[in-house]
Amino acid sequence: MNRKILNIVVNGESHQVLIEPHWTLLQVLRNEIGMMGTKENCLEAECGVCTVLLDGKAINSCILLAAQVEGCSVTTIEGIGDPEHLHPLQEAFIECGAVQCGYCIPGMILTAKSFLDENPGCRPSRDEIREAIAGTLCRCTGYRKIIDAVATAADRIALSGAKQ
Amino acid sequence: MSAHTHRVAGHRLPRRDGVGKVTGKHVYAADFKLPGMLYGRVLRSTRAHALIKKIDTSRAAAMAGVRGIITSADIPQIRYGTAVRDTTVFATDRALFTGHAIAAVAATSLEIAERALAAIEVEYEDLPPLFDPEEALKSDIRIHPDWETYKALPIISRNRNIAGQARIRVGDAEAAFAKAHKVYEHRFSTALQHPGYTEPRVATADWDANGIVTVWCNTQLPFDTQTTLAEILDLPAARVRVTVPGIGGGFGGKLRIGVEHFAALLARKTARPVKVMSTSEEELTAALPRQASIVLLKTAVDKEGHLLARSGRIIVDCGAYAGSGPGTAAIALQVMAGPYKTGALAFESIAVYTNKVHSGSFRAPAGPMANFAMECQIDMIAKDLGLDPLEMRLRNVVKEGDPGPSGEIHRSVSIEECLRKAADAIGWHDRNPEPGRGKGIACSWWMTTGGSSGVYVKINPDGSATLVSGAVEIGTGAITGAAQVLAEELSLDLTDINVTGVDTQAAPFDFGAQGSRTTFSVGNACLAAASELRRQMFELAAKQLEAPIEDMKLQDKHVVAGNKSISIAELARISRLAGGGLIAHGTAISPAPAYDPTRVQNHPLPVWNTPSYHAHAVDLSVDQATGKVTINRYVVAQDVGYAINPTYIEGQIEGGVAQGIGQALSEEIVYQDGCVMNANLTDYKMPTAMDVPEIESIIVECRSAAGPYGAKGVGEPPCIEPPAAIGNAIAAATGCWPNSLPMTAEKIAAAMQVQHS
Ligand code: FES
Ligand code: FES
Repeated sequence: MNRKILNIVVNGESHQVLIEPHWTLLQVLRNEIGMMGTKENCLEAECGVCTVLLDGKAINSCILLAAQVEGCSVTTIEGIGDPEHLHPLQEAFIECGAVQCGYCIPGMILTAKSFLDENPGCRPSRDEIREAIAGTLCRCTGYRKIIDAVATAADRIALSGAKQ
Repeated sequence: MSAHTHRVAGHRLPRRDGVGKVTGKHVYAADFKLPGMLYGRVLRSTRAHALIKKIDTSRAAAMAGVRGIITSADIPQIRYGTAVRDTTVFATDRALFTGHAIAAVAATSLEIAERALAAIEVEYEDLPPLFDPEEALKSDIRIHPDWETYKALPIISRNRNIAGQARIRVGDAEAAFAKAHKVYEHRFSTALQHPGYTEPRVATADWDANGIVTVWCNTQLPFDTQTTLAEILDLPAARVRVTVPGIGGGFGGKLRIGVEHFAALLARKTARPVKVMSTSEEELTAALPRQASIVLLKTAVDKEGHLLARSGRIIVDCGAYAGSGPGTAAIALQVMAGPYKTGALAFESIAVYTNKVHSGSFRAPAGPMANFAMECQIDMIAKDLGLDPLEMRLRNVVKEGDPGPSGEIHRSVSIEECLRKAADAIGWHDRNPEPGRGKGIACSWWMTTGGSSGVYVKINPDGSATLVSGAVEIGTGAITGAAQVLAEELSLDLTDINVTGVDTQAAPFDFGAQGSRTTFSVGNACLAAASELRRQMFELAAKQLEAPIEDMKLQDKHVVAGNKSISIAELARISRLAGGGLIAHGTAISPAPAYDPTRVQNHPLPVWNTPSYHAHAVDLSVDQATGKVTINRYVVAQDVGYAINPTYIEGQIEGGVAQGIGQALSEEIVYQDGCVMNANLTDYKMPTAMDVPEIESIIVECRSAAGPYGAKGVGEPPCIEPPAAIGNAIAAATGCWPNSLPMTAEKIAAAMQVQHS
């Protein structure tokens, strides 16, 4: 088979992976690198559960061909915090009761992170948060507590930024 | 123990599985893999109703990487099903709907499996199809020509294309209609709705050296899946092990077997582990959606708006197999009776086969369908009589001790409180704040499904406890709720309770994550286990402390007797060395309340257990040109008996209402000539964050006698009232009632146009 080498940085670690030309970034992350926190559902860029950060920006990894991300840096949910060192977003999602089945949550948190990173220090309104996360479907929560969580995290991040 | 002194129960504590879920460490069934695993895919019928003349798999079988192909001819000829045993794994001699499974392939990669599907040749001979449920009632075409030979639950009454028919009769409805002040008759329809869980149905199966098959999957009912798989595989149940690593939502769509059987059969055929996951297209064409329905409702009232009699019929389109259709249709009868006193009732439910996708038990099956009709009609009557819709309801709602439709007695009734609180919160006094804006209200009642639960609880040498349950945590927080009950009873913290994964080989039986019952039943089983553990610990402590058992209590992780005490951890260590450890089996069963069987015929759920009461109120605006609805505010007042964890109760309310808003305004699996026209998540429109307002929850606590600390079922009710509440608000805003779901902008605009012309 005509496999090619892909160089990719995932959560700060360099990887060299042999890929087939039709593989998506999602397939590479889940099947080759073992980052199972990135979820799969529609595979058509319609639901957002596969969202990761590509050079800091939220993208749907299910429709992006892996070959196109040569040399790029990818952040998955595993890369922003771990159980001992939760990211403020992860902490706020738990605190606000924004997690139910949890299957949409990695994509939701990364979408929110990309949004907050684009607007450093800002405390977005609830409507702005609503708009920012509208591309990620959650069937469990009705979104209210997710918006609570993003707003809470944004406040804390802005506060800690102001202190520094 | 009174509720306000609870340390753990009743508090907004974070769920036990939260950290795993926000860090990506929580393993879902979709994440599960095994070395050497093959990928399975299912070939599905392209015809709605056709004889299968020939299936040629030879080209596909010869492809490199294809390891096994199965069709109906390769497997035991078994029919399975809950109410009616009409279902087969694959289409046998005929395809009954577009999407019907024809064959399954296992290959070394998904791509190869997909190419193999394309290489299978199927020869069909079309048969005349039946798509319209009302036509199916009259037609001579039989979707199941051999229906008479199928086994079914004895209670189920069937006839030709009718998969089940039930009745509730109270008093003399005909006489009441004859002398009523006014009689109203309306027809409503509701659409096919997908549960919309974000993790598709998925299963990985592997056979071991002892001939035991293990299936890692995302079922809501591991024990039901185990039994069904055993039938399909023609094995004793003990040789089927079902385990649920984690599940990304279910909402009733993952109650019955989904892809587990394909994985198990392919794994048997290939002697390799096989994983099968549904695609989005399969989800929307061949899963277990909420049935479409038609409701005909006739109501008689006196001058003051008292309900004298109601009669009606719900026709539930169950698609090609009965699935949960007969039960769903029958439950609609209690929903149609509503939380109202009515002089006489004459209701009938019909579940009918058509050549469309088989259907299931989406959250509060039948609840929103029947409630939409029943509660919209109350508003229509109120308008005609010149009554305030809230007042009309308050005149008719049941009170403590009133009989329900089956002759059972309504207890711990809170419907009036719910209605008043929802109305107050939405600002009911001002129903039309401006042109094009209106407020609507709707109420309902719903059961807490009983069924039995068992748990094992073990005290560990560090003083923590392990809870082994066969109940799946589908996301609601129900198991965290049960763990709160357990922690409360054992004087532990919630973080001291470890919850194991579900495994049918190790866990005691549980009736499953369905019917608003998990916290209720597993919580009751935890109460029983805790009581048994207290007995064991007190007996052991009596020896250690030389104190009488009567003086003992559990306090702050210790057994305390007067001024003597010993820690639970110490007792666990002593018991490990000398008594095999502290372990208890707790069980719970909720017996059905007494009722009058002469009122209820052929009904698989003749009486409701521990019902809850609730009311929804909405404030919305309708664009006068386009018909587009914008929801300004949405309020729910729901009686939960006792709020074990208010945060996750709000979560259930907010999520359930969001699904209800979807059903009310946008969601429909659209069929045209037997084909689904919108089998993707762009065209099947579930609400996004832009479509759902900030739902306001008012938690009402009217204790039940049967639930832990007085709790009632919580999970299903929130999706019942939204279509009716929204329909009534649209009517308040526009003057016209859209009588079919979803109430799309197009339908509303058309109705407004008719009204203006
Ligand atoms: S799986 Fe990528 S957007 Fe749905
Ligand atoms: S938490 Fe289940 S889909 Fe969002």
